[in-house]
Amino acid sequence: MSRLKPPAWFVLLLPAIIILAAVVLIPLLLSLYSSFTPYRLTRPDSLYRWIGFANYEKALTSIHFWTAFGRTVLLLTIALNLEMLMGLGLALLVNKVTWGQRTLRTIMMFPMMFSPILVGFQFKFIFNDNVGLVNNALQSLGLTDQAIPWLVDGKLAFFSILVAEMWSATSVFAILILAGLFAVPRDPIEAATVDGCTPWQTFRHITLPFIMPFIYIALAIRSLDVARAYDIVQIMTNGGPARRTELLWTLIGRTGYVDARMGYANAMGYISIFLAIFFTVYFFRKLNAARGELGMAS
Amino acid sequence: MAQVQLRSVVKKYGSLEVVHGIDLDIADNEFVVLVGPSGCGKSTTLRMIAGLEAISGGEIAIGERVVNDLPPRHRNISMVFQNYALYPHMTVRENLGFSLKIANRPQSEIDRAVEEAANILSLSDYMDRKPGALSGGQRQRVAMGRAIVRHPEVFLFDEPLSNLDAKLRTQMRTEIKKLHQKVQSTIVYVTHDQVEAMTLADRIVIMRDGHIEQVGTPLEVFENPVNTFVATFIGSPPMNLLPATITNGEVAIENGPSVALPSAFEGKVREGQAVILGFRADNLMPRGHSLPMEGQHAAFDMKVNLSEPLGTETLLFSSLAGREVQAKMLNPRPVSPGETLPFQLDLTRCHLFDAASEASLR
Amino acid sequence: MNENLKHRIKARILKALHLVALFIAMAIICVPGLWIVLNSFRPTVEIMAKPPVWIPSELNLDNYRAMFGAVGEGGVPVVQYFTNSLIISVTSTVIAILVGMAGGYAFARYRFKGKAGIFIGLMLTRAVPGVSLSLPLFIVMAKTGLIDTHVGLILVYVALNVPFTIWLIDGFFRQVPIELAEAAEIDGCTRWQAFWKVEFPVARAGIASAGIFAFLTSWNEYALASQLTRSTFSKTMPVGLRDFTSEFTINWGGMCALAVLMIIPALILTFIVQKHLIAGLTFGGVKG
Ligand SMILES: Nc1ncnc2c1ncn2[C@@H]1O[C@H](COP(=O)(O)OP(=O)(O)O)[C@@H](O)[C@H]1O
Ligand SMILES: [Mg+2]
Repeated sequence: MSRLKPPAWFVLLLPAIIILAAVVLIPLLLSLYSSFTPYRLTRPDSLYRWIGFANYEKALTSIHFWTAFGRTVLLLTIALNLEMLMGLGLALLVNKVTWGQRTLRTIMMFPMMFSPILVGFQFKFIFNDNVGLVNNALQSLGLTDQAIPWLVDGKLAFFSILVAEMWSATSVFAILILAGLFAVPRDPIEAATVDGCTPWQTFRHITLPFIMPFIYIALAIRSLDVARAYDIVQIMTNGGPARRTELLWTLIGRTGYVDARMGYANAMGYISIFLAIFFTVYFFRKLNAARGELGMAS
Repeated sequence: MAQVQLRSVVKKYGSLEVVHGIDLDIADNEFVVLVGPSGCGKSTTLRMIAGLEAISGGEIAIGERVVNDLPPRHRNISMVFQNYALYPHMTVRENLGFSLKIANRPQSEIDRAVEEAANILSLSDYMDRKPGALSGGQRQRVAMGRAIVRHPEVFLFDEPLSNLDAKLRTQMRTEIKKLHQKVQSTIVYVTHDQVEAMTLADRIVIMRDGHIEQVGTPLEVFENPVNTFVATFIGSPPMNLLPATITNGEVAIENGPSVALPSAFEGKVREGQAVILGFRADNLMPRGHSLPMEGQHAAFDMKVNLSEPLGTETLLFSSLAGREVQAKMLNPRPVSPGETLPFQLDLTRCHLFDAASEASLR
Repeated sequence: MNENLKHRIKARILKALHLVALFIAMAIICVPGLWIVLNSFRPTVEIMAKPPVWIPSELNLDNYRAMFGAVGEGGVPVVQYFTNSLIISVTSTVIAILVGMAGGYAFARYRFKGKAGIFIGLMLTRAVPGVSLSLPLFIVMAKTGLIDTHVGLILVYVALNVPFTIWLIDGFFRQVPIELAEAAEIDGCTRWQAFWKVEFPVARAGIASAGIFAFLTSWNEYALASQLTRSTFSKTMPVGLRDFTSEFTINWGGMCALAVLMIIPALILTFIVQKHLIAGLTFGGVKG
């Protein structure tokens, strides 16, 4: 009986650790290794040639990479901020409603059920220059007689993608913030109104600090899968035309699968992973700070 | 100058009316307590005065000004809530100064007002703690401090002591009374505890089911309850009530002895009228253990079922005419259950209520 | 009285503005979805009409008929895709919940060194973008022969869902007072029985909502599925959507029909548990 019994928590966590190691960790190690080789799918032996940081150097000196990187950060920053603000607005609107709130809440969850790829197709259809809803409406209203090239012009395409992304994710924020609003105790709000606060001041000084943790949870959850945006972009423009809407993810996908340059793609993949990790860790820390502020820390 | 006036104020939640047109005049600097069983509409009334609930009918005026549609911030009031309603993310200092900061007062003035409030309520030692790190009594004091920094015209209190333990409650009661003398403002105070009401109020407003039953000074409502509800609600133990009939000019207790008609009620009852005889335990005592009863009184024997010694007096539970009756014994001696004692009832302190309307016949 | 009147008018105006804003917001949320549903019932000529036809003159089931029809004539192996999606989503959800329950319980009930680190580590595996993961995963799957199989995709989805599931379920078990399990143990249960008879039933609603999230994620996932599936045998519905695109044209009507088919199960599930869904997210998160 000298064998050590592993602690219960370890046994309980083991399945999760095993599966994550097998499906995430090992492939990531492989891709880490391959990012130091000139691996091409078409030439398996290239996997065994070590070229050091050449791929990273190539990426970091590539104008295409940096444009895609910058555009990705720009899109994420704009999208997350706008989604948060609009989600907050939507939640406040719904929270004020006194009857029929259940129905509104259900409608609000509608976009969450849509697969990102579906959102991509949906908005590709809606922004289609020929048969899309937007151009049809603009033309019928007599606002324009041209077919506006929503998905072809670089700036317009960025805007269209932003709209699609926001449509799909704003409700996550709205739902979570609404839940936060429900959890705000009534008493301090009433105390503030009696203390002389205008509705705006009450919101600013009482409600907002209370829902801040919920906002950060929403941001953390969202940043966990910001890369969902890849599906949308891939369908709507796939980075094109002529790289005008290229994001990090579409660049990686194309380099890996179309050009079959796996090593190079994996090197860029790693950079995208660090980007995602940065956003996530940032919001988790904010979340803990906000919780501490309210004395809710565990 | 801040008198508060309610004129036929009605509150409806949908089709459910919970306050049925109440009228009330509160004078400047008066301490008025709304008391009544839970669910009778006290909080609703208070919140309508505060502007936290819209009124469904009638008129509320603070000072000379009708405030029906004004939001709370334009009413110059402050309020202390049952659960304190402190801002959990602010320190005690920030909690106290919040209303002044919102009003854009200069920092020096805020500091002075906060300091003053902290001194009045002995909060100076906890100024930089957050509410989460305070005890119940301390939170209660912060809540009161927050109310007084603004020097409002009217203070509203909604059961501010109900979450404190018994000892602290008595202590805070005294502090609130002192506070009123210091700040000289109108106070409207809600409680379901009649002891609190009696000890604090200049005037008591007794409410039931969204109606005002009686308004008066503590002694008035104790001595002259307008109906059996007020009679049993005010005073502890509650007034004994026994059904009776006026027979041959006497009050014949149902299935029990007859007692003489108290002289105060002569000419106010008619023969054969069904009435309710009411008297407090203080006016029913065993012979030899009672106050001297010089006026009109009655005497009968009762068996004692249970006795509760309270020190200077003992509370006796007996039965009269098949109903439980509470009596008091001064200079107590031990009483064993089942012992029969000769009792004296002071008729000058008895009440008669009409059996049908339950209203006082005085 | 003047002052009162002013405030009353202001309140009215604000109320009207609120309703208008609410209406616009709801319209923006609903219109894209309704547009898809509407177009799934319209003939292609009408979808393509110039100038646009606003009031549909004809609604029919042609797109659905074509979709379920023979492959090659605009038909798509919908039934097969639907079955694949269902098998893969349900299986991976069940496994993810079991694994997540074990892990969540460990985080909620045991104290151990490096707890916070392990937790963040698990969460971060979820932050790895699908494309970045799909490249090496593709190589591994190809080597192990798991590419284009149900098992392969199920494994991937379990891994995808486990972190979030652990997070949520951890939150739910924390809601269950530990005294409850202790009382059961004093009453004669083993730890195992105490879990299944007391703690699990109390946390069940929350676990169900974690399940819905896992299901929705699997059901809707595209980036990985598009690389790890090849044939009708394992393609899921999101991948199947691409069957309606060819080099230069898209069969919008057909695609809308498949989209509707894809949304319906998600819609039904979400409606059933929508109350728990919100509670689930917030308990899991805030009370951390
Ligand atoms: N928001 C509400 N909706 C419907 N009924 C309410 C609401 N608030 C209070 N009531 C009802 O109004 C009555 C009076 O409540 P309240 O004023 O809180 O009583 P209390 O005297 O205990 O403070 C109660 O019967 C209560 O059920
Ligand atoms: Mg109350």
